[in-house]
Amino acid sequence: MSLLELNDVRKTFGAIEALRGVTFSVDAGSAVALVGDNGAGKSTLMKTITGVHHPDGGEIRFDGVSIVGRDPGEIREAGIEMIYQDLALARMRDVASNIFLGRELTRSVLGVKLIDTSRMRSEAEAMIERLGARIPSVTQMTGQLSGGQQQSVAIARALTFNPKLVIMDEPTAALAVREVEHVLDLIRTLKRDGISVILISHRLTDVFSVCDRIVVLRQGQVIADDATRSTSMNAVVAHIVGAHSEQAS
Amino acid sequence: MLKRLTLGAAIAALALGLAAPAAIGADKPVYGVLMKTLSNPFWGAMEKGVDVGAKNAGVDIFLDAVESDQAAEPQLNACNTMLQKKPAAMITAAINSTILLPCLKQANEMKIPVVDLDNNLDPAITKKAGVDVAFHIGSDNEAAGGKAADYLVSVLGKGAKGPVLVIEGLSGNITGEKRAHGFAAELKKEAPGLDIVASLPGDWDSLKAANITNDTLQRTPNLVAIFCANDDMALGSVEAARSAGKDKLIVIGVDGNTNAVKSIKAGRLNASVAQLPYLVGMQAVEGVKKLLAGDKVAEMTYVPTLVLTKQVLEANKDPLLQYVK
Amino acid sequence: MTSASTPAASASWRARFAGGAALRLESLVVLAVLCAAMALLSNVFLSVSNILNILLATSVFGVLAIGMTFVISSAGIDLSVGSILALSGVVGAMLTSNLGLPWWIGVLGCLAMGAFTGALNGFLITEGAIPPFIVTLGMLGVARGFALVLSNGVSIYGLPAAIVWLGQGRPFGVPVPVIILLLTALVAHVLLAHTRFGVYTQVVGDNEGAARAMGVRVERMKVLIYTLSGLLSGLAGLLFAARINSGEPTAGLNYELTAITAAILGGTNLFGGRGSVAGTLIGALIMGVLQNGLNLMAVRPFYQQIAIGAVLILAVWLDRINSREGWRR
Repeated sequence: MSLLELNDVRKTFGAIEALRGVTFSVDAGSAVALVGDNGAGKSTLMKTITGVHHPDGGEIRFDGVSIVGRDPGEIREAGIEMIYQDLALARMRDVASNIFLGRELTRSVLGVKLIDTSRMRSEAEAMIERLGARIPSVTQMTGQLSGGQQQSVAIARALTFNPKLVIMDEPTAALAVREVEHVLDLIRTLKRDGISVILISHRLTDVFSVCDRIVVLRQGQVIADDATRSTSMNAVVAHIVGAHSEQAS
Repeated sequence: MLKRLTLGAAIAALALGLAAPAAIGADKPVYGVLMKTLSNPFWGAMEKGVDVGAKNAGVDIFLDAVESDQAAEPQLNACNTMLQKKPAAMITAAINSTILLPCLKQANEMKIPVVDLDNNLDPAITKKAGVDVAFHIGSDNEAAGGKAADYLVSVLGKGAKGPVLVIEGLSGNITGEKRAHGFAAELKKEAPGLDIVASLPGDWDSLKAANITNDTLQRTPNLVAIFCANDDMALGSVEAARSAGKDKLIVIGVDGNTNAVKSIKAGRLNASVAQLPYLVGMQAVEGVKKLLAGDKVAEMTYVPTLVLTKQVLEANKDPLLQYVK
Repeated sequence: MTSASTPAASASWRARFAGGAALRLESLVVLAVLCAAMALLSNVFLSVSNILNILLATSVFGVLAIGMTFVISSAGIDLSVGSILALSGVVGAMLTSNLGLPWWIGVLGCLAMGAFTGALNGFLITEGAIPPFIVTLGMLGVARGFALVLSNGVSIYGLPAAIVWLGQGRPFGVPVPVIILLLTALVAHVLLAHTRFGVYTQVVGDNEGAARAMGVRVERMKVLIYTLSGLLSGLAGLLFAARINSGEPTAGLNYELTAITAAILGGTNLFGGRGSVAGTLIGALIMGVLQNGLNLMAVRPFYQQIAIGAVLILAVWLDRINSREGWRR
């Protein structure tokens, strides 16, 4: 049984059918790439998995349990984390606050649950250290960090609560060459630790570098799902642009 | 940091640069005068009267007002602040009968005499609240309304028939209530054929009165007269009436302020019962001087009123006209 | 990861204070300088009775401004607070004065009316997906209208002694509204700065999408925030009515603008994301001191309005040149 199983997932926004029956799965400890042209439905699909959208049809099972209809907080609890393309950071709050966003540590004072800022700061520091990220202080306002540093914060947030599946949406798009290598190393480390990864990327070299499977999405449907070693970059590109004539149902 | 401090200082300095530091002489006694708002020329005239009265009496005036005649809490705050300066007397034109009571009570405790300027405090309410008002001075609003009715009857005749509109002041304000009541009572007595078809609050606002006039003319196009509880409203009403083509419609206001005088002279507004706020202000200060000197002052002083019409203004013979500012 | 790029490195000492604290310092400086200047210009300014007078005058709109801090921090706005103040006061007065019910029912009535109206705002904003500006603008009219209808346009005079004490009592010489203002500020500060509710309020204003993605129940937060604003408006309405011993349908006219000004002067970001109750308190005091000082100097009310508006613009401009991030939308 796979860690994540999607079966015929559908989502419609008004007159637009964004997802028209998406089926694929992700095994534990593997990295699956999700590629496709703009408007193919990648973002919608990920938001449906993380609970921001609720599917109109189909089934999503995580660790054998259906997660359809759960809200984002519950999905994070279940062990799915996502690093969004725009990073989804609260830029006016400090690094520690962002790392613990949605799961703040609290302590009880006179029966009231107050935020345990000092504990959050020390644990955030530990996580940053472990990641090897160069962030001078966790009390710094996130919006004042560089793009790469901000991404480290988003990554730290995704990894702090021991997820089983991490979804990364275009993590290397705005990075310098050395930083890209760091992200790819991170994906390899996650796989080694038994954590699954879904990588959304248009950079096929990265995809072929770290992913075990490549799923191509086109117009809301999966039109190709191959193991990396049994396909080629040309074939994938061809699938993305729709060179193989397939009848849209 | 230094930059911020300098800028912080700059802000404060700029804010105060707009303020006029008033150095109050310690030798002359100071009377505190709290008005409603200075935007109505009625109160402007009263302020002039207060100034002249102060000059004659050899005292200083500390005057304050608020931004509108509905700014209740700001007037209470201004009253409290005025008490901080420990004036010799507090002369107040309260927005309504109840707003200033806590402050006036404190004035009583500080042995500062309280004077009701322009009869804004209902004596029944002040007595019940245990607030001691040294004296009330103002126009007899009830009689003023009555004089407006008398004027209307003098023009249309005792046997006249037709619908009449009354536009009242701010709801709950005793001044407006008395004027409307005085008008209605006198009209009923003198010309029972003139029927008041509507009596609506215009909140002392000229635009509101204009709208009420338009709406009433829709329903009652044969309106013969409109009585407004103050000039601001009368001026709004007359504009609406004239632009609707109702040149024969008689519009009467109360106050006799400068704008009304201009309008009457120009032949638009028919008449206004001049309240002589100038005289009220002047006599209020003189009354306080007498009170503080130990003389007795009547608890209720009514300052005379004068009906202003085009004839009266052009003849310019009436002695009270000197007090119309 | 690569190390910090140039702008972050040079600003690190300031960033360590995370923006918020630095702003409050500026407001504090403005307040201090203003007080010093007023003291020089009027010899009664620094007397104990005048200081208490300033605090008393600030208490009603100060409570409103505290509620407004939460709303603005969440990138919302509440234009109906002045009207809710009036409606709550009228309801409280009617319950006690007209219906003769005990004082504590009047108090609960005020607060409940405020909270209910606020919740209504919250539901319309979330369920109706209507922008807060429009919902609360409409409520400004509706609530004020109801206040006038219920009271027939006239003030309802004469409240129970216990309620009058809330507005006019002076235990140990300190006016009760001042005590209530300070207690409210204390509770609100802990709520905003140290609880999840407060953190989420600010995060919703900072990046609503991120909040939602991270599991924050955004719609629920908004309803709670506007309910809180309404509740505090009800409290302000109670204090107002108690101060003048009557339910006044015209109470609180334009108070929403004063509340917004106080919050902005105190450093709360108008576009949401960061708010401070302490800052708002200082902002409210700046306005109170300005008002009082100008009154003491008999400055015409028209000039007072110019002065207050000018201080707001200058203080915000000060904030602008100090934080690059602050005004990014």
